[in-house]
Amino acid sequence: MAAAQPELGSPGRQALRMFLRNRAAVFGLVLLSGIVLMTLFGSFFYDQDPTRIIARPLQGPGEDGAPAFGTDYLGRDVLAGVVNGGSTSLTVALVAVFLVVVIGVTIGALAGYYGGWIDTLLMRFTEVFQVLPALLFAMVIVALFEPSTRTVAIAIGLASWPGTARLTRAEFLRLKNLEFVKAARAVGASDFRIIWRVIFPNALPPLIVSITLIMGAAILFESGLAFLGLGDPNAQSWGQMIGLNRQTFLNGWWTVTFPGLAIFSTVLSFSLIGDGLQDAFNPKLRGR
Amino acid sequence: MEPLLSVRDLTVTFGSFTAVDGVSFDLHEGQTLAVVGESGSGKSVTALSIMRLVELGTRGKIENGEILFRQPGGEVIDLVQQREDDMRKIRGNAISMIFQEPLTSLNPVYPVGDQVAEAVMLHQGLEKAEAAERVLEMFRLVRIPEPEKRMVQYPHEMSGGMRQRVMIAMALSCDPKVLIADEPTTALDVTIQAQILGLMRDLREQTGAAVLIITHDMGVVAEVADDVVVMNRAKVVEHGPAVDIFENPAEPYTQALLASVPRLGSMQGRSEPAPFELVEYDS
Amino acid sequence: MKQIAARIAWSVGLILAVIVMCFSLVHLAPGDAALVIAGDSGAGDPELIEQIREDLGLDDPYLVQLSRYVGDVASGDFGTSYRFNEPVTSLIGDRIWPTILLVTTALLFAIVIGVLVGVFTARRPESPVSHGVTVFSLVGYSMPVFWTGYLLIIGFASNVRWFPVAGMRDVRFEGNRFEEWLDIAHHLVLPALTLGLIYLAQYSRLSRASMLEVLQSDYVRTARAKGLAERKVVYKHALRNAVIPVITIAGLQFGALLSGALLVETVFNWPGLGRLAADSVFQRDAPVLLGVLICSAVLVVVINILTDVVYRMIDPRIRVGGSS
Repeated sequence: MAAAQPELGSPGRQALRMFLRNRAAVFGLVLLSGIVLMTLFGSFFYDQDPTRIIARPLQGPGEDGAPAFGTDYLGRDVLAGVVNGGSTSLTVALVAVFLVVVIGVTIGALAGYYGGWIDTLLMRFTEVFQVLPALLFAMVIVALFEPSTRTVAIAIGLASWPGTARLTRAEFLRLKNLEFVKAARAVGASDFRIIWRVIFPNALPPLIVSITLIMGAAILFESGLAFLGLGDPNAQSWGQMIGLNRQTFLNGWWTVTFPGLAIFSTVLSFSLIGDGLQDAFNPKLRGR
Repeated sequence: MEPLLSVRDLTVTFGSFTAVDGVSFDLHEGQTLAVVGESGSGKSVTALSIMRLVELGTRGKIENGEILFRQPGGEVIDLVQQREDDMRKIRGNAISMIFQEPLTSLNPVYPVGDQVAEAVMLHQGLEKAEAAERVLEMFRLVRIPEPEKRMVQYPHEMSGGMRQRVMIAMALSCDPKVLIADEPTTALDVTIQAQILGLMRDLREQTGAAVLIITHDMGVVAEVADDVVVMNRAKVVEHGPAVDIFENPAEPYTQALLASVPRLGSMQGRSEPAPFELVEYDS
Repeated sequence: MKQIAARIAWSVGLILAVIVMCFSLVHLAPGDAALVIAGDSGAGDPELIEQIREDLGLDDPYLVQLSRYVGDVASGDFGTSYRFNEPVTSLIGDRIWPTILLVTTALLFAIVIGVLVGVFTARRPESPVSHGVTVFSLVGYSMPVFWTGYLLIIGFASNVRWFPVAGMRDVRFEGNRFEEWLDIAHHLVLPALTLGLIYLAQYSRLSRASMLEVLQSDYVRTARAKGLAERKVVYKHALRNAVIPVITIAGLQFGALLSGALLVETVFNWPGLGRLAADSVFQRDAPVLLGVLICSAVLVVVINILTDVVYRMIDPRIRVGGSS
């Protein structure tokens, strides 16, 4: 079964080297680390309750007595919101992406590996989800069930898996007829083993790239739902801050600009990392 | 007699790499000249340089040399010095070219007839209907069966041999003085190769165009060439009439190229062909 | 033609599956529709609740309700909105056109400008503009669309008052049909720009990559060897091949575009389907939500078929059904 080993040895290390040589990707990694650190430990350094009214409403940054990023329409500290708002987004995105991977990879792998009517059936099923605009679908789920962080994560997961299923299927279709798979089959490996131990590890590079980008998309997704007011009203998030301030933002640009900048930076960091990984796994496509 | 096309001391570089290094040869009216060599020897770049296509679409640069061309009017011009606008009037008109890959050399989204007509309309100023007539005539000339039906087909609906005939029709449609054929048969089946070579030989007699054929295949050279230029590692290593080169190759590189052509009976007593002997050639 | 017909037939089945799934989802959801309809005032009146249950057949078995709903939808009846007490069909009929206007404008803007940028930069791959496209595509993709909307409002509607802040028409508007269209177009600029920018960013990068590849192709070399002017080589021979992947991706992304429109409509108070859905969500107005979901799916399916048609017109290789 030696032929079945995943490409983690020297090609993996080579990819890592390529990745680290890519300045944009490294910047993305640093940016993301900064955001994660801020989310985890920021409140120790900036110890301000984001839900407390601390000053007059809509005081701009630099105004007398105003906090660094100003105050929102109720007089709460925008900087405190930015520091604390990331935890909901990041948690939701992580859970949602986990769901996307579990559902998408399973369906894609089975469809691609078995082909035939199983493939047809699973892909038609996927198509049903694909024609529903994801945000609308998730919105309806959250509204009809309960507006909690858990529902939001599940809804995003349920709405986002078709792309991963298609990608996994395509990779399995490509890989399943290669020599090392035939070799594994020849020595009598079970289907389960061939799917998960032989083909799957080799399908990982494009999946990892795509999962990184889906992380970013899930953050955008969560902030969109929160912006619309869907989600746990007590769970502070960047999108929710923008949504709550939308009636008054013309009197306080900072109330929407800074939370938006936080979302943007987080998604950008994932995009940069994904792009770097793409180049690292696939040096020929660089710069495209 | 003055040559029709004279390449003199041509040097072409790609960045720090010299692809063609001081290459010179002449091509006379009615003559077929073969430039032979392995891939990477600079023969294709030489051909693209004559069309001035190295600087358009590739990163190559003509560093030095002249490419003198005697125009139909008799005036001799240096192609290297021509401006792009003037070059365009020569390309596909007085000098035309066919390529190695008939599979990818035709645009997949347009009917083949339109692609040939485009050249005629451009250089001869024909109207659409006249151009279509001309395309039909050319298709008959290159012996494409059912030309009316073929004209409106797309490249993917044709075989490799048919596509190469279309390419030849396109190249000959404006009565060129020089036809450059870059490995015209390499991508084709052996039987189709012979047909296409036969066709090219006939057409040269009918049209009087001089042919510059680029190939790595000494078999093709033997089939069509009057004169031969042998290239290796960007330089001309041997130059002379085909007969002489076949009978008495001076250079070890040429001998090796010749030895790589299988002869009838050469496999007697063996289970597989003899491996090609690599010759280190020091320049 | 035959493939298109088969495609349409399959799409009808697909929509049916969507209807069944969405209806089941609503059916599974906790909460009592009768309570929602009765509202705060009526919720305490058991007789009223019972009356509503009976009128809507809420006590019937699931399959009976499902087949009734499918039958109603097939005849164009999506039920009655709990909140507006109006037929859902007419609510959607009013709101679907602004959404289609917004989405198609944004999409055309993104494709046309994106392809032009792609062509321009592919011809100068080492230029700063070309590198800028990569940066722009990453930035454009990463911006939350509602945030972009607010930034554009702050920039172009609040500080300089070039465009209206929100809405689709000026309430004080008076004038003829042409002026009315101009007024709508004026309101459309910022929302369409907001929505289009994300896709413009992606399509510029995609068309640049695709164009770079096509410009290296053998048939482009043939076109040059024919003596064609570079303009004709690029715009006639290369472009048509280079847009094929852009059209494919644009078709695939249409659902995402509708999702984006939902947010943009909320930002700009654009009276489309997205606003209707966002307004109905908190009332748990299930018939409206179901209707909007199903109509969006129909829109996506229709666009997919249109993409297929366009694709076949551009690329003759697909017409014969070959996969070469």
